[in-house]
Amino acid sequence: MVSNTSEIFIGLFNQFWFLGVLVSIVVLGLMTYLMLRFRDQGAKTPDPEDAPMLGKIPEDRGKIKTVAISLTLSSLILALLLGGTFGAIDAINNPPQGTLNVEVTGFQWGWKFKYPNNYQDTVMTVPKDEVVIVKIHSDDVFHSFGILEFKIKKDALNGRVNTIWFVARDAGEYNIVCYEFCGLGHTFMRTKLIVMEPNEFQDWYSKLKPGEIQHAPVQQGGQQP
Amino acid sequence: MSEDHQIPPTSSISRWLFTTNHKDVGILYLVTSLYFLFLSGTLALLLRTQLAVPNNTFLSSAAYNQAFTTHGLIMVLWFLSPFAFSFANYIVPLQIGARDLAFPRINALSYWLYLFSGIMLLVSFFVGPADGGWTVYAPLNTARYSPNIGLNLTAGALVLFIVSITISSVNFITTILKMRAPGMKLMQMPMFTWSILITVFMMLYAFPSFLAGVSMLMVDRTLGTMYFSAPEGGSLLWDHVFWFFGHPEVYIVLFPAIGAVGDMIPSFTRRPLYGRKYIILGLIIAAVVSFMVWGHHMFVTGYDPLVAKIFTLTTIAVSLPFDVIVVAFIESLVRAKIKLKTPALFALGSIMLFIIGGVTGVFLGSVAIDHHLRGTYWVVAHFHYVMVGGGAVALIGALYYWFPKITGRMYKESLGKLHFALSFIGFNLLYFPMFINYDMPRRVVTYAEQAWAFNNFLATIGAFVFGLAQLLLLYNLFTSMRSGAPAGSNPWNAFTLEWATTSPPPDYNFEETPRVNSDGTVSLPKLTSFANGGTPSGYSAPHGLPHQSHLSPFPIILSALAFFALFGIVSLTFIPSASFSAGIVYLWIFFAALIMGGFAIYGFAREKFVAPEDETLEGWPFKNIGRMKMGIWTFMASEVIFFGVFIGAFLFIRAGTAEWPAIDTIFKIQHGAINTFILLTSSFTAVMAVVFSKKSSKGGVAASLALTLFLALWFLYNKATEWQELFHEGFTLSASPISSTYYITTGAHGAHVLGGIVALAVIIGGVLKGRYLGHDHGTVEYFGIYWHFVDIVWIFLFPLFYLL
Repeated sequence: MVSNTSEIFIGLFNQFWFLGVLVSIVVLGLMTYLMLRFRDQGAKTPDPEDAPMLGKIPEDRGKIKTVAISLTLSSLILALLLGGTFGAIDAINNPPQGTLNVEVTGFQWGWKFKYPNNYQDTVMTVPKDEVVIVKIHSDDVFHSFGILEFKIKKDALNGRVNTIWFVARDAGEYNIVCYEFCGLGHTFMRTKLIVMEPNEFQDWYSKLKPGEIQHAPVQQGGQQP
Repeated sequence: MSEDHQIPPTSSISRWLFTTNHKDVGILYLVTSLYFLFLSGTLALLLRTQLAVPNNTFLSSAAYNQAFTTHGLIMVLWFLSPFAFSFANYIVPLQIGARDLAFPRINALSYWLYLFSGIMLLVSFFVGPADGGWTVYAPLNTARYSPNIGLNLTAGALVLFIVSITISSVNFITTILKMRAPGMKLMQMPMFTWSILITVFMMLYAFPSFLAGVSMLMVDRTLGTMYFSAPEGGSLLWDHVFWFFGHPEVYIVLFPAIGAVGDMIPSFTRRPLYGRKYIILGLIIAAVVSFMVWGHHMFVTGYDPLVAKIFTLTTIAVSLPFDVIVVAFIESLVRAKIKLKTPALFALGSIMLFIIGGVTGVFLGSVAIDHHLRGTYWVVAHFHYVMVGGGAVALIGALYYWFPKITGRMYKESLGKLHFALSFIGFNLLYFPMFINYDMPRRVVTYAEQAWAFNNFLATIGAFVFGLAQLLLLYNLFTSMRSGAPAGSNPWNAFTLEWATTSPPPDYNFEETPRVNSDGTVSLPKLTSFANGGTPSGYSAPHGLPHQSHLSPFPIILSALAFFALFGIVSLTFIPSASFSAGIVYLWIFFAALIMGGFAIYGFAREKFVAPEDETLEGWPFKNIGRMKMGIWTFMASEVIFFGVFIGAFLFIRAGTAEWPAIDTIFKIQHGAINTFILLTSSFTAVMAVVFSKKSSKGGVAASLALTLFLALWFLYNKATEWQELFHEGFTLSASPISSTYYITTGAHGAHVLGGIVALAVIIGGVLKGRYLGHDHGTVEYFGIYWHFVDIVWIFLFPLFYLL
């Protein structure tokens, strides 16, 4: 797993996926079986005694027992999924003490990252194995800040700061993607997340000049794909 | 118009322009909605072509964004519901043994407003389309970020569309609750009628929220208010208002399909539906809960974690009633004799697709899983399985099912089965790969990831198989319409009442009204004695019925004028000050349409139009309430939501504003208090008018109404002077979110007062000519209901703005 968040997601998703596939196969299989088993084979299939006919509104049929059994079964499955969800969302929502705070601002169309020493960048760089807290907001319209491989996202809104946190497990390059449609440049509102070894990161961070802006200069509003 | 409103033959153009007959209106809805289906489907094929391979440049970003926005708007609003309502129009009155809807002219008006709203959407598509997705998120939708006239016209189109939906809801509720065949209890209604009843109730409460949202967007874009441009309201305010409508909307497009499946299953399994009453109960519960789950569309906006958990709970819980419905459908197959005709294949296939849509929806109901799946192709796949698989596929089955009733001829079975097979395979090939691609963001014009390429390619192949297969439907129906084998009155051996009359039914539906006896047997009318598949030459009403009217020119005229008035005002607000001459033209269009509209409304009100009210009809639980009064009350229910959302928006903005002005600083208590006193007094005089009207006291009615009119004018005068003072102090519409909410909320109320004043003037004129007295006191009473509502709204607004 590349991060604690992708671990949480994939663990929970697999629960849902397992139960979902199981239920679908059972139900769809049963339905297909019934359709074949009781299909009209001419004289071989007797006419049901309660066949509906014009001139009579059929009597209601159906037992509350069937409804109760299916409701109980589904409720059990859903309760299981609900439990997993509540556990996972608490982990997602409650960051431990963070070692690095990064402020990210979405704008049409790009991302800006600001570090505690006021260094700014258009690419996000973090150390692995450390708690990173990301404060997300937007300068203009509705965006959504998502790290594709980490399977975590939160909306970037004007007038509000949202928080996510993660611990990266592997050094490497990952994709930051905007997940809410934000206009003409939405598709290309992407950048990289670079995860470094802790000592490498320390080295990189200590050489930064506060207030410096690295990588491609941030263009606001202008660039059109 | 011929003097006695006789119905001309189907070959005549005036029949289709002026008809008010529910079956004709149904056919108009059908043709129009199918047109929108194929138009929007073509856009979808463009989208899929662009996405077939990575880094494709077939469409530009701009074109792609316009295409998916228009695709979504049309499919959700201009195709799915109107397609379902083509059957609701044609079939529901037949199923309950009625001769038409409660308000035939209002029904025609609904259709023409729908058509003209669609035309306005198409106009917007050609002058600068909306490109913010069908969800039109804020603040991308504001003038600052989307300064195109297309979005204004789209908002105008939405207003016309919502008006059409609202009056249609009122019509169906009144019809179904008041005009059932004698003896037919609510629980004896066919499933399709049940589903329409529940659907129109959801429409009545969900669409006013959207109307309020679109109205706020309109005034933001044209008058410079700040509902969505200021962070105090902004993104989250739109989210709440939109999804409060948006989630019930999903069930609104789905339920008629479930109802149609519920009617098709007994016909093709040859057994009564299993657990019918649990299905109905399930639909009602799901409809109610659908108004409490909108937060799951906002899981990653960062609102309170506890609230997110509650929405997770309600969202996952709302799957339970659907579980009951699906289990009952499946249980219906046991020990049945299943005839796998085309409609049955589509109905059962639709249930299968809906199951997959439902299971994948549970994933999205989980706030934790949504932290990755939000905004990805998982969502796209899920809602297409629900709305296309569960909705459209079942409704296509319904089209095959009722085609023999509508045309009197059978479609070609083998072609129908081929159509189903290709659709089902194409559908799954199109949408299932999207689940696998659950990392991919939606609404992107292209992608570089090779990992997503294969599944996208499969989806595109599936899209063309699914899309082109629909041409078989058109071909089958077009050729069978003329040359299919005669269907007979009941080709499926079904039990519901639409099959108890000829195919197609005569203009007046039944020779005599069917009756449901207490043991569940139905006394059927004898079939009309003309050749099957034909229409009677010359119109003759069944025995004992008054001559029923069938034609009115006013629905189409009123809709066209509404279109031009809205088109004029929307375009006018968009003209830059430089092009003054163009502005004059739009101003003229607006005023001309407005004035002619006034005359048309007068003509509509004065037209002699007979829609017979049969006293013996089943009307429980509203037996003693007149049709008109029932309609007014139902309409008022939607007004409650409309103002509720404005007040909710005000509270939301207020909660987000750090410093609110102290009491009695901006809004002077004395202004509000005087106006409260005036309106309360006017409610009293309105009551007096009803009392005098019942006593046939002409002078008394005239005096009370005149006093009400005077008080209403006084109220508006006070309002105007107050506004003028505030404007003078620089407290303008675009000064702050505070001023925006104040002017627009009290302005919407003021507009209702103004509407009341116009109505009062007309009614007073009538009273002076001796109308609306004694037995005819209804009009005065309906005005009273409306007026009390307007006063009650003020009772809420006064403390909210002036005292708190």
